[in-house]
Amino acid sequence: MPFVSFNKGPPSHQILIRSTPTDLTDTLLAHADTKLVSGERVLARFQTDLDASLHFHRGIILLTDKRLLHVEKARDAALGFLSWNLAEIEDLVLEELGATAAIHLMKGGVQIYEWRITSGHMREADAFLARFKERQQVLRSGTVSAQIEQAKAGALTAESAEDELEESESPGSLHNPLLRLFTFSRPWYKLMALGFALTMASTLSGLLAPWLTMGLVDNVLIPLQSETDSVHIHQVYLFSLKLGGAALLTWMLNWGKTFVIARVAERVTSRMRRETFEHLQKLSLSYFSRKRTGDLISRIGSDTDHISLFISINFIDFICDILQFVFTAVILFSINPLLALAALGPVPVVGWLVQRVRGHLRGGFAAASRAWSQMTSVLSDTIPGVRVVKAFAQEQREVDRFRAADQHIFDTNDRVNKTWSFFTPMIELLTDMGLLIVWSVGAWSVAHKGITVGVLTGFVLYIRGFYGRVESMSRFMASAQRAAASAHRVFELLDVKPDMPTNDGSRKIGRVKGEIEFRDVKFRHGSRQVIKGVNLKIAPGEMIGLVGASGAGKTTLVNLACRFFDVSEGAVLVDGVDLREVDVVDYRRNLGLVLQEPYLFYGTIAENIAYGKPHATRGEIIAAARAARAHDFIMKLADAYDSMVGERGQQLSGGERQRISIARALLIDPAILILDEATSSVDTETEREIQAALDNLITGRTTIAIAHRLGTLRRANRLVVMEDGRISEIGKHEELMHSSGTYARLHEAMMEVNNG
Amino acid sequence: MSSTPLNFTLERDGTGLVLVDAAGVRHQKVRPVRLFPLTAPTAWIGIVTAEGRELSSIEDIDALPNDVRQLLLEALANRDFVPVIRSIENVVRAANGHRWFVTTDRGPTSFETESDESIQQLGDSRLVVIDHRNTRYLIPDVNALDKKSRQRLERYY
Repeated sequence: MPFVSFNKGPPSHQILIRSTPTDLTDTLLAHADTKLVSGERVLARFQTDLDASLHFHRGIILLTDKRLLHVEKARDAALGFLSWNLAEIEDLVLEELGATAAIHLMKGGVQIYEWRITSGHMREADAFLARFKERQQVLRSGTVSAQIEQAKAGALTAESAEDELEESESPGSLHNPLLRLFTFSRPWYKLMALGFALTMASTLSGLLAPWLTMGLVDNVLIPLQSETDSVHIHQVYLFSLKLGGAALLTWMLNWGKTFVIARVAERVTSRMRRETFEHLQKLSLSYFSRKRTGDLISRIGSDTDHISLFISINFIDFICDILQFVFTAVILFSINPLLALAALGPVPVVGWLVQRVRGHLRGGFAAASRAWSQMTSVLSDTIPGVRVVKAFAQEQREVDRFRAADQHIFDTNDRVNKTWSFFTPMIELLTDMGLLIVWSVGAWSVAHKGITVGVLTGFVLYIRGFYGRVESMSRFMASAQRAAASAHRVFELLDVKPDMPTNDGSRKIGRVKGEIEFRDVKFRHGSRQVIKGVNLKIAPGEMIGLVGASGAGKTTLVNLACRFFDVSEGAVLVDGVDLREVDVVDYRRNLGLVLQEPYLFYGTIAENIAYGKPHATRGEIIAAARAARAHDFIMKLADAYDSMVGERGQQLSGGERQRISIARALLIDPAILILDEATSSVDTETEREIQAALDNLITGRTTIAIAHRLGTLRRANRLVVMEDGRISEIGKHEELMHSSGTYARLHEAMMEVNNG
Repeated sequence: MSSTPLNFTLERDGTGLVLVDAAGVRHQKVRPVRLFPLTAPTAWIGIVTAEGRELSSIEDIDALPNDVRQLLLEALANRDFVPVIRSIENVVRAANGHRWFVTTDRGPTSFETESDESIQQLGDSRLVVIDHRNTRYLIPDVNALDKKSRQRLERYY
């Protein structure tokens, strides 16, 4: 399990690294299996990735019902093995040591062994230790409950084994991204088949014209010129008719082909875009905080476009090329093998050249794609942050940053073009060489009565088309590389497993009363332990004010209550039900969220207020706006509730936006309300307005408010003071002031800031 | 806040519209405001004082007594200016965007828009064009425009 981590490095590397350790793991596991005594069952396993001197080094710790086993591959290649009886182990202790962590094996108060892991494996280590402790408790408490435990543990092992299987398979079952594209087009296989048939037919019909020309030259033109035979004029008509028919047929088939293929391409890419976006919506908040917006946008936007272009144009061209290639060669050989051999003489040279160029282009396009996404990132970074840029007068710096990113694109494209500009004329030269050979060998053959002038003409026509195809084939190589790079980026996104499944709990909780309980909650973010054990029970309808220095874990606690993240240990219970058992979407209908920086979507004010309840009546929207004290200012806008807001559009002040977001929360009538510093970014006058709006909102709802302002805090039933991931004080404002603890200190500091 | 039963009456005096509330207090120079001027012009009308404070709001104008409704409609008609575009004669590039030549329900006119965002979609087929002077032009149903107009519009939207 610990091998699979989400997108830490360039994915191509990931696949490379994966293969070896997996093999090694298998060896280690196999070795561990031989060490098991009969009847011994494995309850859990954990992979370590460092040795005592902190070199990368794989090992496995196995927890069985009787023992703790350790297998590792030492540097001298021998498989090391150690084991301890569970009864003799006092405890396993996990210690964080910066970027790494240690698991101490304690016996009689001293450490008898130590494992080291990188902090990325902390979560698994936690889980493993938890299972170890469970097992130890079972052993200590006696045999009666052990029976039950055993059954439960059996289930657990099976579960984890299944996990492993799934994870090892999913990321690369189809390694070639272009091949995977075809799995996406499966629903339209009939249309694809039709497109292919049309392609074949149109290619064949395109070869008709040179064929007819041969007859034209031999039976009409030559006799006409030499004036030996009388030519029936109807033959000229006949040839014109045939040629015209061939042209018409080719045109019709090409039309059909292009139409059908473009349809397929649009459908495939639209499906890709939709699925990618749907998938994106399933990913957790922590995924988004790790990713650059510009990168995600360019994956869904321009990368899928590259793919569409590839399928609709390049790929089908390529099929045509191959078909025509083969057909032409067959035709040429069937007419005159000698001439065909001469004409195709330069083909090996062309093949070699294509191969060379392909190598150059592949690197070039990958670099170009990366450079492009870098530039998008600069854009999506700078445009929303334009106020900061201007405020700090850093326009020139951003211009420079953009120029650097653009220069990068420029350079990579230059590189590609350099290869390209050499390649295309080179192909032309080779075509001319081929023609030259055909002319000379042909002239010789005609002189020796080997072939007719008509055949030679046909040859020349065919060979022109032939080399033209060679060139477009090499162009295909380029676009295939580009599309492969794009497809890879899209699939990479699709392959990200939601690290917190949105629907693992199936329990429909419906409308909750609003009792929230944090029970021994611990939460680890990466290697940092953010919440270090919080116990708090909030009664329905109670308002809690969360206070504490920034970084104390207030927002994290709130995020856990919303289940944006899952707890590492302990549980969050709502109405006595563990949140992990609950259907998330169903639960979140009970939540109202008002954030420090309210986000308004592009749309009218009415639409924004009704965001959580799209079918709200106009009356409901107005009532919500009234309660949020937003009605009055909305009425003063030119388009009232129909005013456009969002990224662009009507300018609203921070307080106005905030009140719209409060109206939004009010409209869904939430049982639980989360206020994340809702009043911290506005002036006192606006705060009073918002405060009044909030008072309407708070009534009768369980409320957790993160706040600095006294106004908000005074209304709270209890204040919870957090310090370094723990609760340090709980009480009313006055009580806490008297106890002169953390809160009194914080409050004093706040007052100083406000008055100073 | 609900309109029924009516807890005020409207009158007109020399200064303009007067609202007499349930307590008998006379508020002079009040004015009606459409709350959804573009998506539902006839539903939800607010009545505000000269200072912009809301006195009352009406959900359904048709449910009002005849005389009050008449006064209200007159006052609204006096303030309203959202020409409805009937057909688009031409759209040309202008110095800073586009110049539109249109025929509206208030006669032919021309105006300038600044960017793509000057055209806003409300619902499926309702469009609002906002010109550089902030006048709103309504296209209630794009599909109801004649073919030529629609083609001209399509080029810019």
